[in-house]
Amino acid sequence: MKKLIYVLLSLSLVFTLAACNSSDEDSGKSDDSKDQSITLAVWASSPAESNALEETVKSFEEKTGIDVEIEVIQDNFQDAITARFAAKNAPDVFYLEAYVAPKFINSGVLLDITDEVEDPDDFYQPLLNAFKDQDGNLYALPKDYSTLATYVNTDLLEKAGYTIEDVPSDWEGLVEFAKELQTKLEDGQAAMVFDGTMARHLSSFIASGLNPVKDDGKADFTSSQKALDYLQSIVVGQDGGYILSPQIDLGMDWSGAAFGANKAVIMIEGNWVLSALKQDYPDVQYKVLPAPTVNGKQQTMIFTVGYAISKNTKNKDAALQFVKYMTGEGQQQWSEGSGTLPTRISVAEKMNLTEDPNLKEHVEGAKYGTPWTSGITLPIISQSFDNQFQAALNGDLSVEDAMKAAEEEANAEIERQQE
Amino acid sequence: MSGKRRLLQGYTFMAPALAVIIIFTFVPIIYALYMMFFKVDLLAGTRTFVGLDNYGKIFSDPKFWAAFKNTGEYVMVVVPIQTIIAMVLASLLNSKIKFNRLFLSIMFIPTLTSSSAMTLIFMWLFNNNGLVVNMIDSLFGTKVQFITNPDLALAVIMIMNIFSTVPHFMIVFLSGLQDIPPVLYEAASIDGAGKIKQFFYVTVPQLMPVTFYVITMGVVGCFQIFDQAFILSNGSGGPQNSTLTFTLYIYQLAFTSNDMGRATAMAFILGIIIFMVTFIVNKVMKADEVNG
Repeated sequence: MKKLIYVLLSLSLVFTLAACNSSDEDSGKSDDSKDQSITLAVWASSPAESNALEETVKSFEEKTGIDVEIEVIQDNFQDAITARFAAKNAPDVFYLEAYVAPKFINSGVLLDITDEVEDPDDFYQPLLNAFKDQDGNLYALPKDYSTLATYVNTDLLEKAGYTIEDVPSDWEGLVEFAKELQTKLEDGQAAMVFDGTMARHLSSFIASGLNPVKDDGKADFTSSQKALDYLQSIVVGQDGGYILSPQIDLGMDWSGAAFGANKAVIMIEGNWVLSALKQDYPDVQYKVLPAPTVNGKQQTMIFTVGYAISKNTKNKDAALQFVKYMTGEGQQQWSEGSGTLPTRISVAEKMNLTEDPNLKEHVEGAKYGTPWTSGITLPIISQSFDNQFQAALNGDLSVEDAMKAAEEEANAEIERQQE
Repeated sequence: MSGKRRLLQGYTFMAPALAVIIIFTFVPIIYALYMMFFKVDLLAGTRTFVGLDNYGKIFSDPKFWAAFKNTGEYVMVVVPIQTIIAMVLASLLNSKIKFNRLFLSIMFIPTLTSSSAMTLIFMWLFNNNGLVVNMIDSLFGTKVQFITNPDLALAVIMIMNIFSTVPHFMIVFLSGLQDIPPVLYEAASIDGAGKIKQFFYVTVPQLMPVTFYVITMGVVGCFQIFDQAFILSNGSGGPQNSTLTFTLYIYQLAFTSNDMGRATAMAFILGIIIFMVTFIVNKVMKADEVNG
């Protein structure tokens, strides 16, 4: 019996030690080994993007001999990365969305790479600015981006008796046009589909003279009558049945599906719809126009993702080399393979992107667009907006009251946070 | 074998399980109890002691009260309904109807479906162009908006949750039913009780310990409702905080507001609430006596 107990005890010891050991090994890999190996954390994306990433990384590995271990984080990427930082087990390099970049920059966990960038003027400047702090220091390099543009289903448009020239280029005109167009459509078709989240409207707010994130980080949705009028036009449009939400009003998964299935004539969407339209709805005929001007100003949203390096990386040089390669020499390979837009002007020119009628407006947008990022309080502010704007769309509150409620909700939360 | 050695032997056998529980349950709980007195920046790994400030902030936040109201309503509606439906269905299945195994298998499917998939299906059914809305429209001529209407959005989640948890609890009741000695029914029928009286005077009291278990698990599960609300509102808890639940609020505090201290304080409050409600249920149902 005594023997048995010893056997059991030693067995359990072995198991616990084995467990410790393996975790030590794991962290050792990313921390201690030679400068020749780095970890890269990415989110799961389309097969095309995954392949392109692997190919480009392979080219980098062949060129430099640095080993790159790609870790795919399946869901809730931001939460997982935050937890990794909290556990002091951050990847050397990781995807950083511009939207959350201020939070990471502010926490001081990113490597300042201001002086490391080669030829910074070659990047589209709005993309680079998305990853800068207030003092202009740079913390990530953009790997690709998307911008919004107006997509018009020409089949439906022509059936309704219009041509592409009839589509106005300004928001006010577009809304009027949608109203008129709706009367000539069949049941279950929408003249225009929209997305009610703040991510799609920040640039329109700014064009209307409203900066929803004030300098002190507080929310402001009410100071500009023009911005309220802009939101009002969406509410009126939804009420009148000519500007509809694809999910809620049409029962489609997203605007791309509504557009592809000939249920919507106009949508304002990012270039990510192009591959879906090509693959899932090859028959749909469409033209891409610039996003409508608001208040007479050109505007579009830019969504960009960068490569950031964690400050405590043990392989700083290798990480820097990698990031520079992926946003420099290797960018064309990545962009061509993944179908994303390159962040360097020279690469865009080399790829003749402005000659592609579908991509032209998206690429142009990178010059004047507004990146979806604005300080550390933006997540709170946009969450309040999304929560309350719905009340205006329902007709429960007027636009002004809903925006007042959103502003108050966000500011109360920001105050609690800053205390 | 001496008592001491027997003790050692026992703990040795339990060691693997104990180690897991201690490392992954007790240590995090104790750490959370400690964190709730701090303002924590998870990313930078800094924390400053703030005492009970986190609680002050939570109680002055209208979103907390919105979450309190929503979750409270949710528990009050879902728990009784799901318990009653599960009990009735279990009794029906326990009687000698034909194909009851087949029914059992079919009815168990909702429990096996992942809650995210279920939420998407329900969103598809209840959107403004969906089956339910169009059916109501053609029957009554009114368009009811479910998902965007703050008064109805939570109801959609309630229906969904009842639909998906009933089968599980039904199985639990079913096993409880099979433990009831047939002599009790025999005696009741000799005394002149019909099927319905038998259900109320034999089945229900005999099932009390099982019912207590079902209600407790139901209460705990309902208080922790998260994924359905998250998917339906896209993480915002909208429209107008109508689908903001306690756990969604904790998530927002931790990851949108980047305030882990407040999130752990909130988790502690939720723990206390669940404990109190379970305690009251226990007292009211006198579960100890039935069990004992």
